Amino acid sequence: MFKFIGVLISLVCAAGAYALDGAQILEKVDRNLAPASYELYRKLINIEPSGAKKEYVLFTVKKGQDMVAGVFLSPASEKGRSTLRLGDNMWLYIPNVGKPVRITSLQSVIGGVFNNADILQLDYSDEYDVVGVEELEKEYVLGLKAKTKTVAYDRLKMWVDREKIVPTRIECKTEADMLIKTLYFKDTQDFGGGFVRPAVIETDSPLYRGYKSVMVFAKLKARELADEVFTLTYMPNIESLR
Amino acid sequence: MLITRAGTLNWPTKTRRNNERSPRALCAIGVLLLFAALMMPPMAGAADEYSFDTSETDKKPYSFGGYAEAKPMLFDLDRDAALYKTRFYDRHVSNPLSEYDFTLQLDAGIEWNIFKAFARINNSLDRTYDGWSDDSKPYELFLAAKPTPSLTASAGKLTAKWGKGYAWNPVAFLDRPKDPDDPALNLEGYYMAGFDYIRSLEGPLKTFSLSPFLLPVDYGLNHDFGESGHLNYAAKAYFLLWDTDIDLMFLTGNSRPDRVGFDFSRNITTNLEIHGESAWIDDLQRMKVDSNGRVSESEIDAWSGLLGLRYLTSIDTTYILEYYHNGSGYSEPEAKDYYSFVDQAYDAYVNTGNAGPIQKAANLTQGGYGRPNPMQDYLYFRVSQKEPFDLLYFTPAITTILNLDDRSFSLSPELLYTGITNLELRLKGTVLIGDNFSEYGEKPNDARLELRVRYYF
Repeated sequence: MFKFIGVLISLVCAAGAYALDGAQILEKVDRNLAPASYELYRKLINIEPSGAKKEYVLFTVKKGQDMVAGVFLSPASEKGRSTLRLGDNMWLYIPNVGKPVRITSLQSVIGGVFNNADILQLDYSDEYDVVGVEELEKEYVLGLKAKTKTVAYDRLKMWVDREKIVPTRIECKTEADMLIKTLYFKDTQDFGGGFVRPAVIETDSPLYRGYKSVMVFAKLKARELADEVFTLTYMPNIESLR
Repeated sequence: MLITRAGTLNWPTKTRRNNERSPRALCAIGVLLLFAALMMPPMAGAADEYSFDTSETDKKPYSFGGYAEAKPMLFDLDRDAALYKTRFYDRHVSNPLSEYDFTLQLDAGIEWNIFKAFARINNSLDRTYDGWSDDSKPYELFLAAKPTPSLTASAGKLTAKWGKGYAWNPVAFLDRPKDPDDPALNLEGYYMAGFDYIRSLEGPLKTFSLSPFLLPVDYGLNHDFGESGHLNYAAKAYFLLWDTDIDLMFLTGNSRPDRVGFDFSRNITTNLEIHGESAWIDDLQRMKVDSNGRVSESEIDAWSGLLGLRYLTSIDTTYILEYYHNGSGYSEPEAKDYYSFVDQAYDAYVNTGNAGPIQKAANLTQGGYGRPNPMQDYLYFRVSQKEPFDLLYFTPAITTILNLDDRSFSLSPELLYTGITNLELRLKGTVLIGDNFSEYGEKPNDARLELRVRYYF
């Protein structure tokens, strides 16, 4: 009897430790990818099957768990467009239109494979629970489930480099396990301030056969920002933060 | 007069040189040739596709940009329509009628410390049946100071852009009326001074901001806003409360009747947004004409409201649906009286040569009957499909504006392509359908086709 209870207790402890490890790995992934509050420049590149490309440069700031804002610096047709995310709320401000309109996480303000949730991304651990961890020789494989229905992808399968604790690949899936897109993390670089992370995220999708989108990161650094920066009224002024 | 939207009138206040080919026309042709040249080089060919030269992100204290646009248009005129008669009663114009609009919008800004200066100058050159005309005016021209992220003070020519509606904004108390046929066009502002004060908070009320404005109508400023010799006060308070955007606003000050309003917007689900607006106007002067041409004026308290939604499907189809009640608009019998008067006035002109009544009708058209959507109840419905058949940057759409009072409507299919960097191509057609004495049945044209080529720089 005592033997059985002992086995049961060790199983429960092992399961608890296992779950804790997954959550800890995910939090470590988040902190290795970026500080909790930061500023960042990104180039987004949409590549068509013909090889034709369209490029966008985006300045982004993030604070805490649920506040992200960004403004497009180029091309000229997109310059001044800004986006804001407060938790599940997202807005787009277009200078010509002159007022923010609500948008959804599944839309894409720029077209291509990246959508708004990719561009205004929060920490993975804020949006997902770890529901499975698999240990491979060089990688962990985390199974992630969205905490709420409002998250763009219901399930993620994340391959994490065991040594650097950064993602190498993420499959984004629907609740019915249909693959929406795959993100490939490449070209690990030292951004300074202790941040060594992939500088390139490549994306392809079975929904956009032959198309590819790429996100290139630069000038990532920790930054303290006022909460008022992440408001609708401030959206026309986001570029002044640069 | 110009035809600048589906069948509505826009009487020119611009300088004109009738039947004289402007040298600026050559510039416009040059701009078109530039578009053609820009379209020639292929996009491919960059070898290092993932390069990111961080000098691209270096910030300069000044900025310069804008766009150049060419818009040829073709109208199928309706010679029996009331608004055709008020416009063309004393002249013969060919059918179909072609027009060419060229626009050069220049944006320039400079930042220094907490200060910013910005100018947006709109230059237009138009070729209509009436000849060439040109115009140049600042749409925005202001100085701003931002001592903290919580406070921005601005003075100069500003656009407030209040309201959540897509096609109409009854609460846009400080803005010029939007063209529901092209609601994303930027608009000329008014000279005013004001500030934005922002507070972020914990709890269900996440954001509060206050934006008060002073708007003078005097000393040559804002003469088209309303009665001269007054300083007008307006303010908007914004709340992000329980994940809902809520605005409360008012305008007072004697240049226009006092008015108050509110709007809201909220995401019900990740792909469904609802929004609404409501505005009350006290003691609004309203002019109408009976079928015999007798003009009367009355004072009313008008309520206008809008309720709308935007829905995105899993295949990137966007639906926008809005219902609009225009409290200051004309009822169906009132509109019929006006159309009936136009018919009588035109017949009198044809039979006797007396232009007085038809000129009076033309003036009434300017006074309100000819504005976009002059009646009371409308429905706006737009369906757009982003990138169908995996065609990146290609968005077809179809829009209808339905007059619920007389059941006439416009139907506008369009194709938008943005695949070439900084170049936007839009081909749009519009057909207007309605009985005699209905709004869209009495517009000056039955159909319109336009190509808009816009290059951003």
